[in-house]
Amino acid sequence: MASKNYDAIVVGSGITGGWAAKELSEKGLETLVLEAGRPIDPAKDYVEHVPVWKQRYRGMGDRRTTSKDQPIQTTSSGVDEWNSKFFVNDNENPYTTPTGKSFLWIRGRQVGGRSIMWGRQSYRWSDLDFEANQRDGIAVDWPIRYQDISPWYDYVEDFIGVSGKAEGLPQLPDGKFLPPMAFTCAEETVRDAVAKHFGTERRMTIGRTAILTQAHRGRAACHYCGPCARGCITKSYFSSLNSTLPAALATRKLTVRPHSVVHSLVFDPASRKVTGVRVIDGQTHDTMEFKAKVVFLCASAFESTRILLHSTSTEFPNGLGNSSGELGRNVMDHVMGGGASAEIPGHEDKMPQGRRPNGIYIPRFRNVKEKRAEFLRGYGFQGGASRDDWGRGLELAGFGADFKNALRKPGPWRFDFYGFGECLPNHENVIELDPEKKDAWGIPALRITCAWRENERALLQDMSVAASEMLTAAGAKNITPFVENNAPGLTIHEMGTARMGRDPKTSVLNAHNQAHDAKNLFVTDGACMTSSSCVNPSLTYMALTARACDFAVGQLKKGDL
Amino acid sequence: MQRRNALKLLAGAATLPLLSRDALAFFRSLQTQITEKPDLKTFTPAQNAMVETMSELIIPATDTPGAKGARVSEFIDLILSDWSDDADKKIFLDGLADVDQRSQGLFGKNFLESTVAQQTEVMRVLDEELVKAQSNIEPNRDGRRVLAEKTFYYMMKSLTLVGYYTSQVGEQEELHYEIIPSAHEQCAPIPAKEQS
Repeated sequence: MASKNYDAIVVGSGITGGWAAKELSEKGLETLVLEAGRPIDPAKDYVEHVPVWKQRYRGMGDRRTTSKDQPIQTTSSGVDEWNSKFFVNDNENPYTTPTGKSFLWIRGRQVGGRSIMWGRQSYRWSDLDFEANQRDGIAVDWPIRYQDISPWYDYVEDFIGVSGKAEGLPQLPDGKFLPPMAFTCAEETVRDAVAKHFGTERRMTIGRTAILTQAHRGRAACHYCGPCARGCITKSYFSSLNSTLPAALATRKLTVRPHSVVHSLVFDPASRKVTGVRVIDGQTHDTMEFKAKVVFLCASAFESTRILLHSTSTEFPNGLGNSSGELGRNVMDHVMGGGASAEIPGHEDKMPQGRRPNGIYIPRFRNVKEKRAEFLRGYGFQGGASRDDWGRGLELAGFGADFKNALRKPGPWRFDFYGFGECLPNHENVIELDPEKKDAWGIPALRITCAWRENERALLQDMSVAASEMLTAAGAKNITPFVENNAPGLTIHEMGTARMGRDPKTSVLNAHNQAHDAKNLFVTDGACMTSSSCVNPSLTYMALTARACDFAVGQLKKGDL
Repeated sequence: MQRRNALKLLAGAATLPLLSRDALAFFRSLQTQITEKPDLKTFTPAQNAMVETMSELIIPATDTPGAKGARVSEFIDLILSDWSDDADKKIFLDGLADVDQRSQGLFGKNFLESTVAQQTEVMRVLDEELVKAQSNIEPNRDGRRVLAEKTFYYMMKSLTLVGYYTSQVGEQEELHYEIIPSAHEQCAPIPAKEQS
């Protein structure tokens, strides 16, 4: 079957694939998006307004089915009875881990990818992050600095819409913000206490989130229904399905092909370029090949690297783009789950109305001005305060009419600080092709070997201490510090494995996300990350993607690709 | 079972538009009768009656319907049938038998044959036992005192709470939950209906 030749092929339709599709098609390239999963119809598939009483198990999930088909996916608290359909079947999409080294890989395979269910928190990196590896002598230096990406943060924020408050902090640069969401009363109490007791060091701001607080670029303001991760029929939060893919389709230069499982890339040693993308149809299992002048891998960090590892040739027996030997190495995920919770006294006559899909943020304050001896780098806190609901009934003695009436009123204000810490790149945290296990399409599964090390564990401990200090300063009651023991992966910020760098001998991609080994190949998802910062990564992936597209089209026009 | 229900529904959808207004009213009354007889998979009618009575004692009808009006016993039957482990199901069913034994010990009658005051006394003892067991547990960070091993009454009370507050009755009539909030404000006064 002869197939049409495209100018560009984008593998993946999630948060970065959508951006690549938009940028490349708007710059005039005939673009094909290959998505492994099914198409999504928002009118049918979005379920954010389906009431709990219409769910068979009242929101508790179809436990017996998911324990068979999604035992890994359902370890994530983001998966529920409404949206479990947006997460993969673990039997069709297996991976392996060595004994005693659990890794939880939480994935979505559909048009829109995980941008449908993502956390939406959107923070810029600073030079504290971009210079970190060089400063600490760890891994390799980033080939870019904040000034290289800053205009692209502007560009992306302007399109997606990010609500937040400018704080003027060097470690968390301000962006082009829509109006911020409001604090709850208890959050105001804690914010003021943090300012009073830790004002030169710590600052509590409202979460910066890709949710519209006013109409923006044809999308409506948030209506505060709450469960964004089930879809949003008013397109009030950013996803590729709500935003970038429609913009790309409007150019009439975009073709989206769902059910297209990418098998591997074809490398031509003569031209030293990628000349084709081999695809297995997800439904028929037919094989086919698509050709283009430039290929963008945006399949998610591990999937993009898996494709490269599986693209072997005489020149690249260990995977395309792997002349450095770094492909698959330096897996990172944010270490999460140190913190504290407590009751905040007062404000008994007030409660939140509507369900704000956002929380508070305390930007990194460790190793910003003063150096800590116990660990490198730092962490940020997310969290917030709301009032307990009827769920407290199980701890409430008694039953009957008085019991029922007591539960009609809101319970105490409860505040949580929940830390997200930077993970150091480590050469021994690695993904490889499993020699035996294959997925439902016969493609070798990944073997993931990743573990937290001393630095990540030290961050977790410090999170619980620092969180408790702030709650104490706020006059909180029943302060409960905690240190969770979450396996890597569960933060769903997996990154690294095809890092950017200055030297082809020690990195896979250059400063423009271009493969050192094949100049028409770009990788712009989380695989490209050289270090992890402690902030949520998606905004940076989007900015890097838009920047790489601009570069690639410039090179194409000059005839240099 | 599910397939049969689905077929029944499909048949209804196909025939409804053809029915006259009177016939429709008749059909609806018939449907009410059909659905009023619960489609139980685990409970015997007697067990269901016990669960219905106990759940209604936990969340009684006040100015809004209670657990019985929210059909909590059918929800618990579904959870035990299609969701729980067999071990949990056994704890629950054994617990129901134990409630009858307690009632026999105290009043010489099974639970359902006892007066409301007697039933309330059995429940009071069970609730005190739960509170006592919980008092030895450090609350977790959500303020919850989670028992290491489930007991019948712990399951009864928690499933009643979930079954009631996630029902249409509980969510709409008791909690006035708005799927799409009419406004959003983070420090709003508590609505009068929740101050009661």
